[in-house]
Formats: sequence, C-alpha cells, structure tokens
Amino acid sequence: MSHQTDIFSMSCGQMRAQGLRLQSIYPQLLEMVLRLQKAIEEHFLQVRSRHKQQDLVLEEQRLRLEQRRSEAIQEQEALVARLMSQLANVLQSGSWNDPGLQLLLPSMDTRGNAGSGQGAQSARKPDQLLPLLREWQTASVIPVLSNRGEDISDLYHMSFQDHIANQGDKYHEDMNISGIINLSTSENKLCTDLMAERLSWSDMNYIEDDLLQYPDGRGQPFLREEVARFLTYYCKAPAPLDPENVVVLNGCCSVFSALAMVLCDVGEAFLIPTPFYGGLGFSSRLYAKVELVFVYLDGEITGGNTQPFQLTVDKLEQGLHEARLKRKNVRGLVLINPQNPLGDIYSRDSMKEYLEFAKRHNLHVIIDEIYMLSVFDKSTTFHSVLSMESLPDPNRTHVIWGTSKDFGISGFCFGTLYTHSREVATAVSAFGHLHSISGSTQYKLCRLLQDRDWIDKVYLPTNCSRLQEAHKYITDKLKAMEIPFLNRGSGLCVWINLRKYLDPCTFEEELVLHQRFLDNKVMLSGGKSYMCKEPGWFCLVFADKPRRLKLAMRRFHEALQEQKEELITALLEDAQKE
Amino acid sequence: MFIFPQKESTAPTTCPDPPSTQDVGSGSGAGECSRKPDQKLYGVGDPIAMFSSGSSYLSSRGSIVKWFWDSAEEGYRTYHMDEYDEDKNPSGIVNLGTSENKLCFDLLSSRLSQSDMLRVEPSLLQYPDWRGHFFLREEVARFLSFYCKSPAPLKPENVVILNGGASVFSALATVLCEVGEAFLIPTPYYGAITQHVYLYGSVRLVYVYLDSEVTGLDTRPFQLTVEKLEVALQGAHSEGVKVKGLVLINPQNPLGDIYSPGELQEYLGFAKRHKLHVIVDEVYMLSVFEESAAYHSVLSLDRLPDPQRTHVMWATSKDFGMSGLRFGTLYTENKDVATAVASLCRYHGLSGLVQYQMAQLLRDHDWINQVYLPENHARLKAAHAYVSEELRALGIPFVSRGAGFFIWADLRKYLSKGTFEEEMLLWRRFLDNKVLLSSGKAFECKEPGWFRFVFSDKAHRLRLGMQRVRQVLEGKSQGAEDPSSSHNQEPSSQHGPGAGPGGHRLRDRTQAAVARAQRHDPVIERGAKQEAAVAEVSAAPNGRARAEKRWAAGSGLLGPLPLESAGRAGYPRAEERVQTRALRETTRCLLPSGPLMNAEVQRKSNPDCDG
Repeated sequence: MSHQTDIFSMSCGQMRAQGLRLQSIYPQLLEMVLRLQKAIEEHFLQVRSRHKQQDLVLEEQRLRLEQRRSEAIQEQEALVARLMSQLANVLQSGSWNDPGLQLLLPSMDTRGNAGSGQGAQSARKPDQLLPLLREWQTASVIPVLSNRGEDISDLYHMSFQDHIANQGDKYHEDMNISGIINLSTSENKLCTDLMAERLSWSDMNYIEDDLLQYPDGRGQPFLREEVARFLTYYCKAPAPLDPENVVVLNGCCSVFSALAMVLCDVGEAFLIPTPFYGGLGFSSRLYAKVELVFVYLDGEITGGNTQPFQLTVDKLEQGLHEARLKRKNVRGLVLINPQNPLGDIYSRDSMKEYLEFAKRHNLHVIIDEIYMLSVFDKSTTFHSVLSMESLPDPNRTHVIWGTSKDFGISGFCFGTLYTHSREVATAVSAFGHLHSISGSTQYKLCRLLQDRDWIDKVYLPTNCSRLQEAHKYITDKLKAMEIPFLNRGSGLCVWINLRKYLDPCTFEEELVLHQRFLDNKVMLSGGKSYMCKEPGWFCLVFADKPRRLKLAMRRFHEALQEQKEELITALLEDAQKE
Repeated sequence: MFIFPQKESTAPTTCPDPPSTQDVGSGSGAGECSRKPDQKLYGVGDPIAMFSSGSSYLSSRGSIVKWFWDSAEEGYRTYHMDEYDEDKNPSGIVNLGTSENKLCFDLLSSRLSQSDMLRVEPSLLQYPDWRGHFFLREEVARFLSFYCKSPAPLKPENVVILNGGASVFSALATVLCEVGEAFLIPTPYYGAITQHVYLYGSVRLVYVYLDSEVTGLDTRPFQLTVEKLEVALQGAHSEGVKVKGLVLINPQNPLGDIYSPGELQEYLGFAKRHKLHVIVDEVYMLSVFEESAAYHSVLSLDRLPDPQRTHVMWATSKDFGMSGLRFGTLYTENKDVATAVASLCRYHGLSGLVQYQMAQLLRDHDWINQVYLPENHARLKAAHAYVSEELRALGIPFVSRGAGFFIWADLRKYLSKGTFEEEMLLWRRFLDNKVLLSSGKAFECKEPGWFRFVFSDKAHRLRLGMQRVRQVLEGKSQGAEDPSSSHNQEPSSQHGPGAGPGGHRLRDRTQAAVARAQRHDPVIERGAKQEAAVAEVSAAPNGRARAEKRWAAGSGLLGPLPLESAGRAGYPRAEERVQTRALRETTRCLLPSGPLMNAEVQRKSNPDCDG
C-alpha cells in the first residue's frame, strides 16, 4: 500500500513538472499516465481486497456473535418449553387445589433473582412442586435427569435468566454499542489494566513439574502459606495466622458450598440478614440442600436504630426463635462484611455482639469478607474478624475471602477459607479435588499476594481512587435525579431506592421496572434478588470504566423518565375516569 | 482427582492398626476376605459401611466426609512426608502408585512457555460463561472430532468445561441420580470414582466383578461381557438398588484394556435396553502407545444406540500429563444434561487464563502430532518395556495391553492364604521399603493379590522403585536370605561394590554413566549420577541382570547420550526404539510359560483380540 502511494505521488510530481516544461515529450507523458493509471488500479484493487478481508473477519465475528445469541435463545426456548409443559401438565392433572400450584407462580416470577425462592417461607416451593411434575413425567417417559438434576437446572435458569438471555447481546465498545450494559454483576472492572500488566510480568510464567501434577486437596502448601501471611497482614491479625487453617478452593461459592455440606445436613439452615448477595442462597441450595432463614431488616430507621437496614442482636434472636418455632434446625449464621449490597461495615463492637449471640446458641458463624480491601472511603475503618484479640467461639468461626472483588479477577476462580477448626478445615479439604485450582494459577496467585510492594504502592491506591471517582460520578448523578441511596464507602455497588417509580409498590412492579431497564439496554438487579423485604430497592454496580458508566447512566435515566411518564399518564387517566 | 486420598492410599489406611483391620471403601469389609471370591458376581458398594465416629462441629454428612479424607490421608501423608527426591531425599518413597505421566514434562513446559500461551486479556480475568469460554468449547469440539475420529464434526454447544474429570463425575452423578441410586461399574476400576460420585451426589456403585481366569466364552482375563452386566443389574434390582447408569473406562484403568467397537456397541446396546445412561471415561484415549492396539472412541461410532444417554468424559490430566492443570470436559448430545451440569459449573470453574492456554494447546495439532504424541508414546513404550521386563524376570504374571500408564500385576503367589489382609500387609511392606504401589482392593478387585504398577515415570525413579519392589518380593519369596534387606531398610544404606555375577558389568556401567554425567548438562548429569548410584547398588541375581541389560540396551544407556536429548536421559532415540522393538520380539519368545498370564501372549493366541 505505501509502495503504491509512493509511485502515485512521485508520478504526480513528475507529471506536473514535465507537463509545464515541455509539451513535446508526449510519448513520455503518455507512458507516465499509463503508469499512473496502473498504479491507481493496483491501489484500488488492494484497497478492495483489503476491505474484503476485513469484511470476512467481521463476518466471522458476526457469525460467532450470532451463534452465541442463537445458543442463548435455544436455551431460553428449552427452558420456556420445559416450564410450559410442566405448567400444562399441572393444569391437566387437575391439581388446581394442590398447594403446589400456588407455588408455581411465585417461583416462576423470579426473573433475574439470584437464589430466589429460597427463604424460610419460600424455600420449599420447588421441592413441593417438582415431585408433582415428576409424577407426570414418569407416567409418560423416563426423565433423563434426576429430580434434583431438574431442580438444579430450573433453579439456575430462574436465577440467572437475565444473564443467560442477554449473553448474546452484551455491550461491546466496538462490536455491539447498542448491547446491554451490565450494572448487575458485582465485578470490579476498573483496574483490569493494572492487573493485566502485573500478570504479564515474567515472574508469573513459571512452570514446574509439581504444578502440573496432582495438587494437595487443600491447595498447594506455598499458596496456603502465602494466604496466611497475606491475611495476617491485611486483616491485622494479633498473631500470625496458621497455613494449616487455610483451605484454598476455586472460588468463594465453592467454599460456601463445601461449608454448607460439612456444617449442615440436608434441610438444615443458616440464619442470614437480608438484603444479601443472592448467590449465597444459590450456593447453599444447589449441591448442599441447605436452607437460608432470613432475618429481615428495615429500610426505615426505627426504634433504637441509627441507620437503615441495621442488624441488631434482637433481630437475630427473633429470627432464630421464629425459625425454631417452624422446626428449622439452624446450624449457623452468615454475615457479609463489608456488606453486599448495602456497603455497610460492622463495627468491632457489633461484630462481637453477633459472635456472642452465635456462641450462646452454639451456632457456626460464616463471615464473608470478600470486599475487605474494597473500602474506598478513608473515613471508615474495616475490622476483620481475624483482627480480634479473642474470638468468642473460634472453632465455630469461619472466614471466607477471595480475589474476585478486591483484585477484580473473578475469572481466576480463587476462594479461601480460614478456620481455627481443624475438623472443619479437613472436612472441607475432602471437597478439594472437586473444587481444585490449576497449579499454574495457584502459582500466579501466590506471586500476586506476595508482592506487597505492588499491592500497597500501586494497586490498592489506584483501585481506591478509581472506586472513589466512579462512586462519586454515580452518586452525583443519583443526587441530581433525586434518587435516595445508601451512601457508603465500601464495596462495588450502591443500594438505591426507586420506590417512587413503582405504583403500586409491589415486587411485580419492581419486575416491570427491571424489565424497562433491560429494554433500555441496561441491566440492574432488583431488591427481590437480594431477598429485600421492601419492593423498590435496586443494586447498581459502579465499578466500571467511565465510558460505559456514562452511557449506562444515560440509559438508566431514560428508562426512569419513561417509567415516570407512564405513571403520570396512568394517574391522569385515573383522574379522568373519576 | 481423588486419586490419592481414596484410591492410591486407601488400602494402607486400614493397616496402621493391625488388629482393627477395617476396609475403607469396600463393600463388606473383612468378611469379604473369608468368602470364596470367585462366587461373587456383583456387589453393591457402601462407601460408608465402616464409618463410626461423629463430631461436635460437623454435620453428620460432614463427619462422613472428614472420615473419608482422614482414612485416605494417612497413606497420602506417609508418602508426602517422605517423598523421594534424587538430591534432597534419595531414601524417600518412590511413587509407583499415582497414575500420572511424568515422562514429558520437558516437552510440556517448553510448549507452555511459548509466547502464545502468555496472553492476559481483561475478558479472561472476569466471570466467564460458566459452561466454559466459547473459544475453548469450540476448540475442544474440533480436537475431539479429530482425535476421536467422529463421523461428523462435534458441536461446541455439547461441550461443558469443568476443573477436572473428578468434577465431571460429581456433577453427572448429581444430575442423573437421586440420593442412594447407583451406577454400574466393572471391577477392577479406578476407585477414586467412588468418592467423586458419593461426596456431593450420594450416589453408589454397583460392582460388576470380573475374573482373572479366562473361562467360558471369554478370550482374555477380566473380560467384560453383557452377560455379566445383566447379572449385576438384576442382582442390584433384587436388592432394591436403583441403577441409573453404567460407567465404562476406555482405555481401562487399571487393566489397560481397550474395548473393540463391537464390544462397545454391545455394552451400549445393553444400556439402551435398560434405559441406562452410559458415562464413558476416555481420559487415556491418547495414551495408547502400542501401535497394534487400535483404539476406538465411543465418539467414533457411526451410530450410537442411545445418543441422548451417552456422555463422554475427557481431560488433559493423563494424555497431556497435566493432572495439576485441572481441565476436564464433558461431551453429551443431551441438552438437558449439558445444561444441568453447566448449572453446577460455578463450583467447578477454572481460570480464564488456563482456559486460554488449553485452547492454544489443543489447537496446535502440529505440535501434538509431530512432537508430543510420538515422543510421549515412545517414552511410555520404553518405560513399559522396562517394567514388564522386570516383572517377567521376577516371574510375575501381568496384564497389559499397550494403553495407559500402568501394569496390572498378579502377586497372588506372594500371599499364602490369599486374603485382602495379606494383600494389605504386602502393600505395607512395599511402603516400608519406600515404594508406593496401589493394591487391588483399592480397585475393588475381587481377588486379593493384584497390584497396579505405574510405569510412566523417569528412568532413575523407575529403576529405584522396581529395585525396591524386587527386594521385598525376593526377600519374601526366597525365604529372606537377608531379612534386613527385605524391608524397613533403605536400599541406599546397602551401598557396596557390585558383587555377584553382574558385578563387573555394573561397575563398568557405573563408570560410563559417571563419565557421561561429567560431559553433559545438569539435568542429564543428575539422572546419570542416579543411574550410576542405582547400578552400583544393584547386586543383582541372574534374572535381574538380564532385565537390567535389556533395559539398558533398550534405553540407550550404554550408548553415548546425544547432547540434544536433555531431559530425556535414559530414554531411547528413534533408532534405539527399533532396537527395543526387536528386543521385545525376542523376549516374547523367552516368556516363561505356565502360570504366567500375559495378555500379550493371550492376544497372540487369539486373533480376535489383536485388534
């Protein structure tokens, strides 16, 4: 190409000069024109073929995208077909009076609600419904999946419907600018540049035969040692933590799933304050069949509370009492600190109270501290439970941490358990081979956690300031739109109140608004998927690049405008009717 | 995989306390030993039959799980506390028990270090499609289409990626069976499957016991027939156990058996008749190192009897010697099964960076076909030749058909009463003499006395391992001329000048090895020094010397080592491979007759089996 251009420009120059000086050298001129013509032809030919090549590449990308979309649609189709046939057969079987049917609807409307259908009240829904469906199925054909297999599949699809449905229409700066922007998945995308750079350093790419061979079920000793050192330092543990108390698995979901298996039997339960990260409901349910008993917190500040959604020991006591009345065997309490989605941080004293409460009732406490390094407001101090001088019941206190949020590498699939109970550590290790991490990944993680210099001087300060900026951008927008929200200084999301856009204020309307966001190509999670007791709350993940955030907020705003106009029109119509 | 905890080291666990011989993972514990093994055609596994203790902190299933781990952990710990290391712990335990391929680390590490492997992209760092990144599923589909010789291209949407074969078993068991239901599995089998399907799934196994004796219409030992499957299925039904599927391992572990397309069709037909799922574990499909053994993947069949109930498992653990990489995959045409397994993938995810590397690796057919597979097969073959020669020299019958990493050896003649207790004592004796093997009990073999020898290890470790095995067996079988040498003593402590008939030759070899060591790079040097040490140690009787000689001839030990062969010290070059083959041809004729039950011999006499 550059070659052709050279000929072209040279020919031009020569031609002009010669043409001005002598008209008599016509043959030469002709020759030059011909050469020029040829050069131009060649140039365009090349441009054309290049375009063709680009077209081919684009076409290929488009095909792939389409394939992914059609795959997603197929999956949706299959789900819809299955649900419809189940529905049809429930209807056919004439079980109108069966309590199972009433349960069908609530469990079906859980669009996008991770881990829904879980709680004390609703936990049994699918369980009761499914045998009914099975009966029909066994009557006609032998089902391919086991009942629990169907259950797992259904639960998954109901929980992640949005993500599955929209997999093919993800926003992409170059390839799909009209795609859906995801403000729903709690991921930190602000520091991928730093992370990608650090992971490209040569110290990361080390291969040794040990790393390619069967790992220790608990995780490679070198990684467990590093995790112990890392947590000792960042959790400010009073004494060095013991690598023997560390178990390393492929993600915090896996840790939670394995813990649920070894601490509870089928049908037993954990206590958990709501709203909470719905994935926990999913994880306790899928393999382990453990229920979650909700301790509902209020958005209103009442009684002696000083902030919305405040957790108190009274509420825990009450929750436990009610669960026991219902004959639930509660084996533990689950706390998320910093809290997801609220962004709350428990004070050292409150934490102590919760732990004492658990001790009084012989409950295990699982503390998920996965956001511990994502505290970006300098005025708040996070206290890890591992920083306590003495734990009320160390053998029943189990801490979960991972790199997904704090280091923005959810794709690494790394989660760790720290527990003083050797019994629990050993029992969880037994699941190690089903949740193991690649040796080379363990090595990379070890190098990463080891590099305090980089973490303290480069990564954490940058991450913190980027989180601050993104948080400020979002909260300024929310203020301008007069949307109430919890202004907290940790985590990756803001908990916002959109109640005024719901009329009536129900979960059905919340779902309608949720869909309106999707129609406007922005995805948010409604409070229902966090088991919030009041409709109208949404979780907005802000840890994304400015460009995407800006576009997302524009769409968010438009969706709310639409919603508002519709509400006003409806009000007017009502008024006119009256 | 659970290879260690349960499989490789379960047997040992039962030993530490001789009076209370409890049988981990076994159906009926000690009682089984007294029965006449041959009469039993099937068995229903009860993985927790021996479980007793509860715990104050754990749930009841948590206590069971911990008990599983503890019982397995004991043997594992023994090995790991005293792992052999040529420099740091030459008197440590040599592991011939874990089925890992340690022969091609040099090739793999150089391939994995190439620049195309080191890409870090933001999308790889974020939550993936839990079913596996699409680019990897595409690559797996292409890879399996090619290497399984599927009649039509396989589809990426039928592929699910998980962190290893163990997870595939766990997820499949959970979505195909209810609690307490069962899969049918022919024994001996890779016993870790017991835990894979039990831990989360609470699914049991119904054993189809196979015989070492060739009886009736059978043409080879441990032959699986539809008749035996039928009997076991009926038996399970009569005991009220609901069977939902059949597990086939092909190439088989520990037998190294390969099912012919005809046999596969029969087994699949049986499953179809009874509406059973079939899980085909093809994790050794590229580890068929004997050219004459024609392997057929179930995916190569023109028509599957029941495609919706046929699920294929493959992983890189064995065929690419990367058990630590944790990559496994499920291929199933059944959308419901794929989707249900994918629903569990959140708990079996693997890093995006590793997924990227796997895609790069599987895409590189040039390297696989021209570098990796030929070299891997040649090394497997050489190592196999060495261990089988050793066994022949000891007059030990064995089964081996040219696939996998192991030889299934018959040590029954070393048990006086033929019980599992004795088998365990022998196992313990091996461990005391610092060599870890897997005993038949761990594979649910119905006859006591079988052991699995893993040969896919570096020459110096193999030699040392086999030497220690020989010490135990000869100490026992020859009436222990020197009791102290049979066990509880380190071979390295027996250092002395080469004595006996082979002494001179060994000394010469030692010198040659040391000389080589001085000429070459550190990798080779270490290996050669080790060989020298081993050579020096072995004051071998005749059989031993013969085997040593053959091994040396086959492995190029006596010839000059080429400089470019760093990392494959002790293994043959191409021309030497020819030599090995010729040697093997001749040794076939030298095979002892009588009780020896060598599958090669069997196959020779039976054209049907020759593939």
